[in-house]
Amino acid sequence: MGKLKTEEFVVNMGPVHPATHGVCRLMLTMDGEKVVKIEPVIGYLHRAIEKVCENRTYPQCIPMMDRFEYVTSMSTNQVFSQACERLAEIEVPERAEYLRVIMLELNRIASHLIFYGTTAMDMGALTPFLYGLRERELIIDLFEMTCGQRLTYNYIRIGGVSKDIPKEFIPKCREALDIIEGKLVDYEGLLNENPIWLIRTKGIGHLPAELATSFGVSGPVLRASGVDYDIRRDDPYSIYDRFDWKVAVCQNGDCYDRYLLRLEEIRQSISIVRQALDGLPEGNIKAKVSPKFKPPVGEVYSRIENSRGEMGVYIQSDGTTKPLRVKCRGGSYNQLQALPYFGTGGLVADLVAIFATLDVILPEVDR
Amino acid sequence: MGVFKNLKELIKGMGITGKHLGRHAITIQYPEEKWTMPEGSRGVVVLLSDKKTGELNCTGCGLCEKACPTGAIDLDAPRGEDKKRVLKKFVVDNALCCFCGLCEESCNFCAIKMDTRYEMSVLDKKELIWDMGKLQEMGKDVDYVDTRKKKKPKVAKKPVVKPTEDAKPEAAAVNPGDAKPAAEAAPDKEPEAPKSPDKPAEGDDKKTESGGEN
Repeated sequence: MGKLKTEEFVVNMGPVHPATHGVCRLMLTMDGEKVVKIEPVIGYLHRAIEKVCENRTYPQCIPMMDRFEYVTSMSTNQVFSQACERLAEIEVPERAEYLRVIMLELNRIASHLIFYGTTAMDMGALTPFLYGLRERELIIDLFEMTCGQRLTYNYIRIGGVSKDIPKEFIPKCREALDIIEGKLVDYEGLLNENPIWLIRTKGIGHLPAELATSFGVSGPVLRASGVDYDIRRDDPYSIYDRFDWKVAVCQNGDCYDRYLLRLEEIRQSISIVRQALDGLPEGNIKAKVSPKFKPPVGEVYSRIENSRGEMGVYIQSDGTTKPLRVKCRGGSYNQLQALPYFGTGGLVADLVAIFATLDVILPEVDR
Repeated sequence: MGVFKNLKELIKGMGITGKHLGRHAITIQYPEEKWTMPEGSRGVVVLLSDKKTGELNCTGCGLCEKACPTGAIDLDAPRGEDKKRVLKKFVVDNALCCFCGLCEESCNFCAIKMDTRYEMSVLDKKELIWDMGKLQEMGKDVDYVDTRKKKKPKVAKKPVVKPTEDAKPEAAAVNPGDAKPAAEAAPDKEPEAPKSPDKPAEGDDKKTESGGEN
């Protein structure tokens, strides 16, 4: 008897699938149980935020940018404000810069805690999800206390921040940091040497450094592949050059390394927040910016290191109160683009692990 | 024998669960218990009333309407016979509101505030459109710090005497930075949104007067 004939077939993963972190549709061409081809189909969460911004004044764009990447809204606020400040050459007060760094790093921790929870949940472990969200709650409470919202902060504004921190913020923040630092040991105890976790992640989804750089992959995913690149250190914005911290780098570029690296980043962020709290000066929290903010004619690109990679905003100004063109760049887009080139060859279950550790969120891809 | 071994494991597992029984729960039973929202939490939009007279603080300057990024505020305040603005309509469509808080920040008269209340579920979408009466009723018991200046009415009368054309350079002189180019580039627009409470009246005067002449 000759060989059995096998046929490839197409399976749709998504658009509504708990492991696609939003609404992403992956068209998988399968050969039996193996994935041979991945075609991401995007656009299910498209809200035309760039176009919406063209019809809003600059201060009105910031609530819109909150929705651009809602897991770390502080960074979208920061990147837009920073672009406007560079365009109009506004100097941000010292205290505002410190508050910004505190908020950005707290938001990074919150985002990585979500990563920790959802990644483990995608692979079938529910406990880490509850643990991660429990500690994230502490940070979200701090944000709510400061700016009044839990997810779409609208806190970092052109020229500074919108409100000063309340009195009880600093002790509560220190307490939260201590709790999270203590719980990190628990997190590692749950997963780091868990045999199931190791089988599911170690050696799975190896992303070579050349492939990563050629696709413009940035952030933790790039650093897990062994490329030592962090915008906070290599192209410093705000006041990141004043703090003493290390860029976490791993070498293997597999799912396990991407997970380890994010836990290490939480530690580094905690250290940065502590230093910023120690050095928090008194003073103004906002430079004088008119409500009818009009930057001069010109164009600007500003970028920051988000928890998902390089986040950038390009603004073209025609001298009126509204931007002529706004273009947003999110790290998730490039990571999703690289997925078909290194995610194939495994089972669907492996693909879930790879997709989860890339930490792609779809609002950032579709905008 | 495997059954007994499994039973032992089960009891061990239940023991760990039992340990957690006595612990303080981090969740709350929502409809019965309610979370205390922190001060400054951005919930529903309300209109504030004067603590003594009980009248609305709103002067109808329209700055909040301009600041709103989603167009949730619909406001109408035509000038009466004594050239004073009379607030006729103030409607907030909560279905459009994105709770950014820009209206509260733009207000110079302590008239609009985002209260800490957050429960606003209704059966019909039209019930989310709140008119002036509803907004005032919601804001009745809201505590706020009155930062309004008391000499407001005296200063506000000045620009009414001045002719329309002269008001423009005067407004520019008050805010030397951005106001002048703004007025030149877009003469039909209002001058810079001011910081002290009496200035919006200046700009608004000009606009409505010129509109009336046309």
